[in-house]
Amino acid sequence: MLDTQPRLLSVGTANPPERYTQEEIAERFEIPDPRIRSLFRSAHIHTRHLYLPPVDQRGAPSETQGELLSKHLRGALEIGPQAVERCLAPLRLGVKDIDYLCCITTTGFMAPGLTAHIIKHMGFRPDCSRADIVGMGCNAGLNGLNPVSAWAKANPGKNALMLCIEVCSAAYVFDGSMRTAIVNSLFGDGSAAVLVRADPADDRRFAPRVLGFNSQIITEALGAMRYDWDEHHGKFSFFLDRDIPYVVGAHAELPVDRLLNAHGLKRRDIAHWVVHSGGKKVIDAIKYNVGITEHDVRHTTSVLRDFGNLSSGSFLFSYKRLLEEGKVRRGDYAVLMTMGPGSTIETALIRW
Amino acid sequence: MYETLRFNEQDGVATITLNRPGGNCISMQMVREISAICDRLEDESKSTVVVIRGAGGAFCAGIDFDDFDPNAVMDIHGFNKWEKCCTRIERLPMSTIALVDGAAIGGGLQLALVCDQRLATSASIFQAPEVKLGFLPGMATFRLAKYVGLGIAKRLLLTCPEITADEAAGYGMIDAVVDDLDVGLNQAIHNLGPNHNVAVQLTRRLLNECYGTDYQNALGHFLAAQHRAISQTAFLDTLKQAKKGE
Repeated sequence: MLDTQPRLLSVGTANPPERYTQEEIAERFEIPDPRIRSLFRSAHIHTRHLYLPPVDQRGAPSETQGELLSKHLRGALEIGPQAVERCLAPLRLGVKDIDYLCCITTTGFMAPGLTAHIIKHMGFRPDCSRADIVGMGCNAGLNGLNPVSAWAKANPGKNALMLCIEVCSAAYVFDGSMRTAIVNSLFGDGSAAVLVRADPADDRRFAPRVLGFNSQIITEALGAMRYDWDEHHGKFSFFLDRDIPYVVGAHAELPVDRLLNAHGLKRRDIAHWVVHSGGKKVIDAIKYNVGITEHDVRHTTSVLRDFGNLSSGSFLFSYKRLLEEGKVRRGDYAVLMTMGPGSTIETALIRW
Repeated sequence: MYETLRFNEQDGVATITLNRPGGNCISMQMVREISAICDRLEDESKSTVVVIRGAGGAFCAGIDFDDFDPNAVMDIHGFNKWEKCCTRIERLPMSTIALVDGAAIGGGLQLALVCDQRLATSASIFQAPEVKLGFLPGMATFRLAKYVGLGIAKRLLLTCPEITADEAAGYGMIDAVVDDLDVGLNQAIHNLGPNHNVAVQLTRRLLNECYGTDYQNALGHFLAAQHRAISQTAFLDTLKQAKKGE
């Protein structure tokens, strides 16, 4: 029987060239408040790649919303294509081989969307189908992988590419408050691309099949993570409720168990957990609610340490580290898990 | 149903009785059967306590050397399987109690150490003889010092003395020496009640992790675990009772 399950054939990532330690960022913006400086000293994030702006006389960054949107597109057209090239190179594919492109971002809004810009910038075929997923936040990578996998399954042999691009340094407010400092100390810039194809000819490749998805939206926590207009600053501003990591953790078992039950699996059958690097609190909450270990989230925590929270593409950075580790074996199952605004938890099951 | 052990569940207590002639030694078949019981306990059991004991006057006299072929290339696979089995017992959603009567040697000692509590008769002896036999005492290298301190653990694992139940209790390696294991077990079960599995499981996990975690990380883990505990029915019932009493 021909196998037409979609597979994740390759992944590529990219970040802006400039990398900063948390101390360098706190110094650069002359943050005086010791409570805020302590946020930048916490041990779970060491470095982040960012497109940092110049500072004014008061040591503060001063970019208008218009300038931020321009920076988002500029950054997207630098790191997006790099991730695409790194994803396609191992498969000896070029952008003209791509039949479907799905771009994901929350850190900038535009029409036409990122897919149009990427297609023009990189020279994709004009008949490349496309979709933009905008504004879904850190969970969006799996919200994207779901329809991309479905498209791949419906179009056997065709190449579908999902590209997450987040320029979080184009989505900030700097006002000296704890609310904005939490966000400003957490997020990093990065892009991740994954090639999905359902093709019996790939049967012998060591690449996981995408078996299914499950979601959990926590509507009572709709406002707990949000990116909305801040009238006072004239910018979009991200808000993270203090307790939302624990609320997300408390609901995490639900989609995981539904996902596994649908395939007759138990949590102990899962060899690898690829969890979004949302922040230390939410990673802890997932660990203690789902019953997974520090070892299970080793790539999640190392990606957080080295890059910060990269929003929608974060889990693909962890997935790439899992592959590079070389411990995955044929037959292994992995659960992919992302969390974000909604509030929501997205899960996917894959198997090598 | 099982070749190397007996298993039964009654009144909320699941009992695994190791049952092999010659001291209930650990074979790969026993490892597979204990793992299968862990599946069953995780998936369908209503028990709140798991008891591990031995038949025939011994708890467990170590690993079965018949599983090894001196003419074959040695591999580490079986040791890894055994440790995975120990970890699964350590993480069961129930409280675990080892009842030791007779020898708890080598892997038998390791098995007792992964349980939450250890009760022993005065006829019991404990020993980790592996170093004298040319191999390592499993992950007792990881667990024993947490119970007895590094100095005593070094002496017990490097010079391999046989120690009595009284000595083991003095070192903190076992919880109590009892005349009658079943009486001791009933008392231990009584002391555990009322049993709230989530609180037990999370507290045990934090304790098991406490030597390898710095304070800031341990605090983060505690807050995540505590949030889970206080969201459970058990704590909400406690709050309701407290309100009623006001």
